[in-house]
Amino acid sequence: MARTVIIGAGQAGRRTAEALRDLDPEAEILLLGEEAHPPYDRPPLSKAVLLGKDPGNGLFVRAPDFYAGKRITLRTGTRVEALDLAAKQVVTAAGERIGYDSLVLATGARARPLPVPGADDPRVHTLRTLEDAQAIQAALLSKPRLAVIGGGLIGLEVASSARQLGCSVTVLEAADRLMARCVPPAISDMAAALHRGHGVALHLGRTVRRIEPRPDRLLLDAGDVQVEADLVVIGIGGIPNTALAEAAGLAVQDGILADACGRTSHPDVYAAGEVARFDHPFFGRQVRLEAWQVAQNQPAAVARAICGQAQPYDEIPWHWTDQFTWNLQVFGTPDPELELIRRPAGEDRLTAIAVDAGGRARGAVLINNGREATPVRRLIGAGKALDLAALRDPAVPLRQFL
Amino acid sequence: MAEWHRVAALSDLSLEAPLGVRIGDLQIAVVKLEDGVYAINDVCTHEYALLSEGFCEEGRIECPLHQACFDIRTGKALNEPAEVDVATYPVKVEDGAVFVQVP
Ligand SMILES: Cc1cc2nc3c(=O)[nH]c(=O)nc-3n(C[C@H](O)[C@H](O)[C@H](O)COP(=O)(O)OP(=O)(O)OC[C@H]3O[C@@H](n4cnc5c(N)ncnc54)[C@H](O)[C@@H]3O)c2cc1C
Ligand code: FES
Repeated sequence: MARTVIIGAGQAGRRTAEALRDLDPEAEILLLGEEAHPPYDRPPLSKAVLLGKDPGNGLFVRAPDFYAGKRITLRTGTRVEALDLAAKQVVTAAGERIGYDSLVLATGARARPLPVPGADDPRVHTLRTLEDAQAIQAALLSKPRLAVIGGGLIGLEVASSARQLGCSVTVLEAADRLMARCVPPAISDMAAALHRGHGVALHLGRTVRRIEPRPDRLLLDAGDVQVEADLVVIGIGGIPNTALAEAAGLAVQDGILADACGRTSHPDVYAAGEVARFDHPFFGRQVRLEAWQVAQNQPAAVARAICGQAQPYDEIPWHWTDQFTWNLQVFGTPDPELELIRRPAGEDRLTAIAVDAGGRARGAVLINNGREATPVRRLIGAGKALDLAALRDPAVPLRQFL
Repeated sequence: MAEWHRVAALSDLSLEAPLGVRIGDLQIAVVKLEDGVYAINDVCTHEYALLSEGFCEEGRIECPLHQACFDIRTGKALNEPAEVDVATYPVKVEDGAVFVQVP
């Protein structure tokens, strides 16, 4: 009986285990995770959990007895310290050696620390784990003045949640616009207006150089802008947990390098989820994506490869964020250099489609307009030249272009 | 007692264009398909979203937030992130009016 060991019991680890079980009723599956909890999905952390709302089954997707029922051996609180690829063994922090036939690295990422003086003060937080979210949530109860460093998805979600709880909130972003890595400038501007409209103080193009901890407050120095806060949350991206892979000699470059099926530079070893930098047919190059979608579905490709049924992972990229009244969804690559065709669909509702010089849809952004998720995904997937004059007319339904 | 409630005129419904209605505290999505009119609970079982705001095709409705799909005829959750089915309600059409029965 072939044994697969999966390191990292997050979303991608769970999905690898589930997909493997679906493909192979006989496989022996070990899921080893450093965290104290069974696998959970992270998106609710910056939303429902911070708001103190019940995240429903969006957090712990599976009931605790699910794993035993699927004959998946889940070992929480188990950190793997080293890989012995020659012996086909992993070594845990307790010194135990566990053999495998196939090994999956699903170690995810950690929050990127801010390399400035004062960032180690206990009132300065990052957000990656359930414990991080609970600590921030507890701190928000006393309605502190919150400063968020980083105007990306997580920073803006934290700002939105804290503002909804009645905290005064300042966001400092080094780039000259919000969410610069994932939406085009026109959408960044709308997001800035959304946040300002809800009372968030936004400072764009400001880099925090120093946090000065005082007993009763924190002083953030961003050159010409100085911000006083009681609580700071840093959201400046993630760093993939590649140390194990690197030490074992696997090819690593800001992510464990893998092909479109998740196979790494070593034949018995696979990479799943956010830690993987894999060939993505949509991009035509290797990418590392920090998105629920990838942690959810790329592991199925890994499981197929393990079972000798390799088939590339090639979904149209998608991620979402919820901020104030917005559900924002991003599909494909709506890069800034593409033309953005806006199709307003009522107040606070928009479909925007990014088209290339050949008139082909390459990406899309939906604001509160999820009903067009499937149509835009299909438009992007079809990759054919569109009648742009018609596309510019919001009265012409998207179905007409499919 | 289970009661019938008039929710729409049949002529208000076009094929695969869901209509969100409220009966008391219940939010219900009413959808006309080729073989008849169906009613399911409008609230996605994943987090909170109204399915009637979603895309509908081939007897399935897709949640506008995270793309879970449900079978409109049976309420069955077809893919993640939803794990739990949505409730379905009996529907009858009389004299051009659509009625939904709720518990
Ligand atoms: C606050 C937050 C909000 C987000 N919101 C959204 C959203 O709205 N939409 C969206 O599309 N995406 C969102 N994401 C992104 C998405 O959640 C991540 O991309 C996803 O969690 C990646 O899953 P993963 O399993 O690859 O990694 P992780 O979930 O990080 O899991 C990796 C696991 O491996 C464990 N591990 C690491 N090293 C070891 C070791 N040596 N031994 C044992 N275990 C180890 C870690 O402890 C961790 O539990 C959000 C992320 C965060 C942090
Ligand atoms: S709320 Fe419907 S899929 Fe998440």
